[in-house]
Amino acid sequence: MSGRYLSRKLLQAIVTIVAIVLLNFVLFRMMPGSPDRILLKNPNLDPSVIEAVRAKWGLDKPLFPDQLVAFVGSTFTGDLGYSFKFRGQAVTDVIADRVWPTVLLVGLGEIVSIIVGLAIGAYTGWRRGGTADRLGNGVSLILYSMPYFVIGMPLIVIFAAGLHWFPTSGMGSIGGGNKSLVDGLIDLVRHLALPLTTVSLGLIGGYSILMRSAIIETRNEDYITTARAKGLPDGRVLRAHAFPNALLPMVTLIAINLGYVIAGAITAEVVFSWPGLGTLTVSALTSRDYPILQGIFLLLAGSVVIANLLADIAYGFLDPRVRT
Amino acid sequence: MTERIGEQAGQEIPDTVAIPADATVAPATAAEIRGRRQWPLPKLAVPDAPLLEVRDLKTYFKLRDGWVKAVDGVSFGLADGEALGLAGESACGKTTTALSLMQLLPSNGRIRGGSVELFGIDLVPKSEVAMQRYRWREISMVFQGAMNALNPVIRVRDQIAEPLRYRLGQPEATSTARAVELLDMVGIPRRRSGAYPHELSGGMRQRAMIAMALACDPAIVIGDEPTTALDVMVQAQILELLERLRRELGLSLILITHDLSVLAETCDRVLVMYAGRVAEEGPVSRVFTAPRHPYTRKLVGSFPDLRGDRRQLAVIPGQPPDLLTPPPGCRFAPRCEFAMPVCTEVVPPEVRFSDGVRVACHLFPTSDVETVSTGASAPASAAPAAPA
Amino acid sequence: MTAAEGAIQKVRSERWRLFLRNTGSFARRYASRADGVVGLLILLGFAVLALAPNVFVGPLETATRATGHAFDPPSATHIFGADELGRDMLNRTIHGARISMTIGLMATLITVVVGALVGIIAGYVGGRLDAVLMRISDFFLVLPTFVLAIILAPVIIEVVGSDAEILGIRATLLVIIVVIGLTSWATTARIIRSQVLSLKGRMFVDRARVIGAGPGRIMVRHILPNVMNLIVAQAVLTFATAVFTETTLSFIGLGDPFQPSWGEILNSAQSTGAPGLGAWWYIAPPAVSVVLVVLSFTLVGNALDDLLNPKSASRR
Repeated sequence: MSGRYLSRKLLQAIVTIVAIVLLNFVLFRMMPGSPDRILLKNPNLDPSVIEAVRAKWGLDKPLFPDQLVAFVGSTFTGDLGYSFKFRGQAVTDVIADRVWPTVLLVGLGEIVSIIVGLAIGAYTGWRRGGTADRLGNGVSLILYSMPYFVIGMPLIVIFAAGLHWFPTSGMGSIGGGNKSLVDGLIDLVRHLALPLTTVSLGLIGGYSILMRSAIIETRNEDYITTARAKGLPDGRVLRAHAFPNALLPMVTLIAINLGYVIAGAITAEVVFSWPGLGTLTVSALTSRDYPILQGIFLLLAGSVVIANLLADIAYGFLDPRVRT
Repeated sequence: MTERIGEQAGQEIPDTVAIPADATVAPATAAEIRGRRQWPLPKLAVPDAPLLEVRDLKTYFKLRDGWVKAVDGVSFGLADGEALGLAGESACGKTTTALSLMQLLPSNGRIRGGSVELFGIDLVPKSEVAMQRYRWREISMVFQGAMNALNPVIRVRDQIAEPLRYRLGQPEATSTARAVELLDMVGIPRRRSGAYPHELSGGMRQRAMIAMALACDPAIVIGDEPTTALDVMVQAQILELLERLRRELGLSLILITHDLSVLAETCDRVLVMYAGRVAEEGPVSRVFTAPRHPYTRKLVGSFPDLRGDRRQLAVIPGQPPDLLTPPPGCRFAPRCEFAMPVCTEVVPPEVRFSDGVRVACHLFPTSDVETVSTGASAPASAAPAAPA
Repeated sequence: MTAAEGAIQKVRSERWRLFLRNTGSFARRYASRADGVVGLLILLGFAVLALAPNVFVGPLETATRATGHAFDPPSATHIFGADELGRDMLNRTIHGARISMTIGLMATLITVVVGALVGIIAGYVGGRLDAVLMRISDFFLVLPTFVLAIILAPVIIEVVGSDAEILGIRATLLVIIVVIGLTSWATTARIIRSQVLSLKGRMFVDRARVIGAGPGRIMVRHILPNVMNLIVAQAVLTFATAVFTETTLSFIGLGDPFQPSWGEILNSAQSTGAPGLGAWWYIAPPAVSVVLVVLSFTLVGNALDDLLNPKSASRR
């Protein structure tokens, strides 16, 4: 993969991230009235206190360029401000606390859904028109139409409230600090089961449908006829010839999708009260905690850009035609 | 009428031209060739059966509005060590015939009738899984346009080794070594054997396809326009390669091409197809020097001759018929300058001559040997034998 | 009438007859697709419910007009049981149809109008304008819909005030409509633009230019009718996404309890602990409705796309 290709993609990514930071700034400042009115909800405060607070937060300086420069500067040095709701805590800290549960849930969910979704898609696309295809495609379409919470809530009703196999919410049982490693692990797995199933089912539909059409496209290529002409069994033609070629465009799609999946998982987390970025976002939303919202926006939008960049790089590696 | 034909034949070509083309054919007998096989004959093979016998093959394609009769009653045979050329204009059914032999038709194609007997074994009723046994090991194919026919993400050497590993069960080391050997045999140096298809030139890709087709030592190799996409120099090399391999390995070859010069050089016999049916078939020397079927005559005549006088190229007016609703009777009749009323009503029967040529044309209602097949009832008058 | 007028009338009636014949054959082709027909029927069913919910179940039940008890399971009087305030679920669900589908419709209108406008202009005019428009749309494509919605919504509500009402839709829901439109137009614009690009090269455009038609006229009278098919197919698919997104945004809390959409109902279900209580009747009706509507829009949109889009050659 040529250096030119790489540097061009890198440049595009950087430009987009800068634009996102600027957008962040604009949104925050779009609110009418000064932020201090929200900060200090008490209307009986002494004006001098208000002045002091405004000075502290740099709100007395002109919007442009001073505030803008300060904002951009602090963003890139890792200072994202302080949370309104969790007074005194840096946004970066609050967010950092919640990253791991989300990554765990979404990461595992992606892995499961990629493996299963690609397999189903490849199989149904290969046997296009058969009963397996109609069934698989139908199920995929239905799952694709279901938001996470529409999948999650029934699961809770049936498996948690109804059968009591799994807990209804949370990431761990209360008083978990004293458990042994094995017990803690089992507890985590029990709590992870339903949310993980929800996220996986939510993603499988999309991957299956995409892979199916990729395989259908590949099936019409000449080298598939050659492979059949060699007398190879059908399974081998699918696995060794069709699948690797169909995978090439899929890799890009999967990588791009990864950027969006964290945002999508918000509703899954809400349904299960999973202590991750999703529930943080919703609580920040209801309490109008703008610094947190900004920080999450930056994180999520930035991850989309980075995911796109990684997708381009990955494609450059995988396709031998691009490599040389 | 007989005189007219005689005149035509007499005027156009003398009938005692010695064509030395036969010198390229390996003089081995069927028994010798079969004795030299790497692998034993298929279990179901009938002893002493001819290598390939295709009878009345009908292959149609299902479209939304009906069936396209792409191959509609084609018969021919192939002997061990022989090279048969399939000639005709685009979309006359040559490729479909070849694909039918190996049952590699697209999903809307079906063999609707006839038989394809390989060593006496009829392949038409075989299921997909049963066909896999015969593919590549008995019949293999060199496709047109190797760039698309080779898998772009697998190394060339591995694509050639694949049938050896998965069809013949050879271990990886053996199959890879053999693949490299085969590439060497077709003129691709060992150090390039690990290349991907896009890293090779067009000519080298075509050679790689040939090497791949030979991997399992098949009895028959079908070449579907193997040189069409290449420039003349490379074309000559490829043809020479094919010829050499044929001689050395005793291969039987079916060469599909619309380029008659290629055919004349490489093949022993030629089958001229038009609109899904056989127009004429026979030894190359006979068909090209004394073509009988009006279509063959036009075809041969339409080929520019470097040494010939500069006259206008003969053009066949009109278009090939729509095979969804083909015309009744002879399919060439609408464009034929010799068309008679019977031509548009009755399918011309195939008639065989003593010099080994078969023709399907009402101009030749009987032969001097026998009537091979009758499409519908032949006209009543039996004209005297046509001149050889 | 004069000869010229007569000729024009003949051409017009001929065009009308052709239009009818094309529509007829199109309808027949559409009818051959089972999935499209099923989707269409489901859609029509919901559309009827959405247009006149009062006819079917009477006015929306509120806390003061509740007819049941808290978390009543399904019974003869309440087919889908009741929610935490005793309100009949069937009533709530059918009224929710009106809200969800209206929001979806309005969001789709914005998306499609903006997207088609940008797509046609960028595609036809080309040059610097095209490059600029595409850069902007690329940026919007990258932004995750969801996240942008979450950021914009509280800001817009602050600006407009939470009690404002336009066209009978309350402010919070308007926000959702605007946000969906803002974040979805880019995809439509791209697709329409590539179709316009391929149309630009066709002869009839050149002919129109030679006659002296200005760019605006060409775009409206020549380009637009030819991308109409694509616009319609895209609109239907956008509708599916719009309903999906609106449901999700309402579920998070951006909805309006006074004009409850299905997402809003599910939000109440979640926050009152219905899943943990096993109150499936609170969850099932809105959930199934959402899935059915999104699914049927997707089916219809796919069918239309296959039939109308010259590029997608669906092999039988």
